Amino acid sequence: MKRKLLCAILSVTMAASLLAGCGSDNTTEQTTDAGNDVTPGTEEGTEAAAGNAEGETISVAAIETAYGSEMWQEVAAAFTEQTGINVELTTDKNLEDVIGPSMQGGEYPDVIHLATGREAALTEQFIKGNMIADITDVLSMTVPGEDVTVSEKLAGGFTETSLTNPYGDGKTYLAPMFYSPCGLFYNAGLFEEKGWTVPTTWDEMWELGDKAKAEGISLFTYPTTGYFDAFFYALMYSVGGPEFFNKATNYEEGIWETPEAQQCFDIVAKLATYTDPITPAQANDQDFTQNQQLVLDNKALFMPNGTWIVGEMAEAPRADGFKWGMTALPAVEEGGDAYSYTWFEQAWIPAGAEHQDAAKQFIAFLYSDTACEIFAKAGAIQPVLNIADKLEGDNVMFYSIYDNGAKAAMGNFAPFEAIPGVEVRSVFFDPVNSLVSGDMTEEEWIEGVIAGSDQMRANLK
Amino acid sequence: MKSARGRNRFLVACIAPAVILFFIFMILPTLNVFRMSLFEKGAYSPNETFVGLKNFKMLVSDTNFIRSMQNTILLIVVVTIVTFAFALIFAGILSREKIKGQNFFRIVFYIPNILSIVVISGIFSAIYKPENGMLNSIIGLFHKMEEPILWKGESLVMVSIIIAMVWQAIGYYMVMYMASMASVPESLYESASLDGAGRLTQFFQITIPLIWTNIRTTLTFFIISTINMAFLFVKAMTSGGPNGASEVALSYMYGQKDAGLYGYSMAIGVVIFLFSFALSAIVNKVTDREPLEF
Repeated sequence: MKRKLLCAILSVTMAASLLAGCGSDNTTEQTTDAGNDVTPGTEEGTEAAAGNAEGETISVAAIETAYGSEMWQEVAAAFTEQTGINVELTTDKNLEDVIGPSMQGGEYPDVIHLATGREAALTEQFIKGNMIADITDVLSMTVPGEDVTVSEKLAGGFTETSLTNPYGDGKTYLAPMFYSPCGLFYNAGLFEEKGWTVPTTWDEMWELGDKAKAEGISLFTYPTTGYFDAFFYALMYSVGGPEFFNKATNYEEGIWETPEAQQCFDIVAKLATYTDPITPAQANDQDFTQNQQLVLDNKALFMPNGTWIVGEMAEAPRADGFKWGMTALPAVEEGGDAYSYTWFEQAWIPAGAEHQDAAKQFIAFLYSDTACEIFAKAGAIQPVLNIADKLEGDNVMFYSIYDNGAKAAMGNFAPFEAIPGVEVRSVFFDPVNSLVSGDMTEEEWIEGVIAGSDQMRANLK
Repeated sequence: MKSARGRNRFLVACIAPAVILFFIFMILPTLNVFRMSLFEKGAYSPNETFVGLKNFKMLVSDTNFIRSMQNTILLIVVVTIVTFAFALIFAGILSREKIKGQNFFRIVFYIPNILSIVVISGIFSAIYKPENGMLNSIIGLFHKMEEPILWKGESLVMVSIIIAMVWQAIGYYMVMYMASMASVPESLYESASLDGAGRLTQFFQITIPLIWTNIRTTLTFFIISTINMAFLFVKAMTSGGPNGASEVALSYMYGQKDAGLYGYSMAIGVVIFLFSFALSAIVNKVTDREPLEF
């Protein structure tokens, strides 16, 4: 009898502990919620607005990047103050892991700020799955607290790219956010010291490469192959102009066998021979800063990057007299166009979001003067007109690149239905690692691009 | 009679919670993996379309998948053999020989097992650093290098992962072997040495046959843990690069999920599941011996 009792107690304990296991899920959720309120610091905004008539609450999920997450808290608070709509903010460096699981369960944030081109490719999946709400009407909405519409504030061209209008039907699905000119970053101090000039054509580039090699400096390095997208887009523009770019990014048949494409491949393949040989071994998500360090240490001259690099490497040691410099991609011939790719992030509303109207207001508010100023303080530059006045420090030089003759390149590879084993990065850019290490020839790379591109064309959205 | 029925009811009540939870959280998801492998679905999209065996057909022609599978098999074979050999030798030495600081070595060998894989990956990333990394610096002392050796470069990256994985696993298996070696009666060794058997003969004729059941168990562990650990190491050390050279089956499966191919990645999961099951079964069958009693 005693034994039975003991068994009973034990089994009850076990069952209870198992249930406790289930229950702990809720607790975590609660603590996360609480955590969200505390960390992003919206609690003031939320409380302040609680008394307001609107009282609606939207959930906003934003990726935390080099710009930090404080600006989002401030913007959310300002939005609540302006409209009375509460904001429940989630920010995280690995946003996909935080919001992914609940979205798989059908619970979507109302606004997501998450750019394409990330490894988890969450935004791309939503584009491919037609799961993003049409926000074309936001463009004609009045910015909350101001009397101008969103489209009047936006700088030209930003809502005409395949990044914002992924289906090419003239409708806007993703709102352009924080733009950054991409180009080749270098140590301006080293160039002064050596008396070198920044090359304006690729021929000058190779000449400089030979000169640098004599001094034991490599011409080129890259953080990871992911950085080649902006590089390659600008290269395609400078070789063949917008027409070639559009054909190529829509995978037109035979486009990769044209002389223009060949020129692009040749330049990258030649650049691979000038690349610091240790680059591929560090070109992964864990070690990429060591490749960036090569430029800071004067071991490599140029790397493709964006303006966030300054903040990212702020704490890193550097050579004496180091000074950031940035140039557009050299022109292919004397007097040709130099291009700098305009990289920008995207904010969007999942089609399954509950509070679509409030979410649209929030997106409109992101272009208000208040929000732009908050963002600019953190170094994030919104693509609105007259933003130049708000720039500080290195950014003044970086963002003036288009005023100094470089043309802006925008757009990206057209989205296609997911194909097993075929992704833009793995087909086009990852092989650069093998080009540098000599494990692959240019011909093999081109063959892979043609084969991959054929499949992408067949699966175009 | 009544008490027997009551007893049965009581037993059912005791087992039920565990069985139900096991079913919901283990069996059901596993079955779901098999089901999803027949569908096409994005990770976040609510729509799924039945495509039959299409995912599996595509797997056969996906060269990236084949390469990742090759890498997995390479890891299973090499890591198992090397770790097995080292763990067995160390265990033999530490449990049979009288050496100074036995406990010290026991602890030192076991420490890697306590560290998290991310930490180990960090340590090895620092060791493998091309410039002023530990390994290249040591080699540089004896041999003048023109170009640094790229341990995480395309040609050596798998070797580097193997080294890290072996280093991590030795301690665990060593302790397992030592535990079963400790239960081998001393008298057997005594009589063997009276018969003139040397230490090596004792090791192969007495120790190994008597811990054979344990060795068989660990071989299954090797297969399962290598498949799992490889994912962690790859994720934390190389993210599958350069150019996919260090991609293993699980990391490829994970990447395909991110590419929006949920069904396809589940098909990879099914292949890995069947593969590890089959391999374990084969290994178990091949190593089947009449258990020895002492």
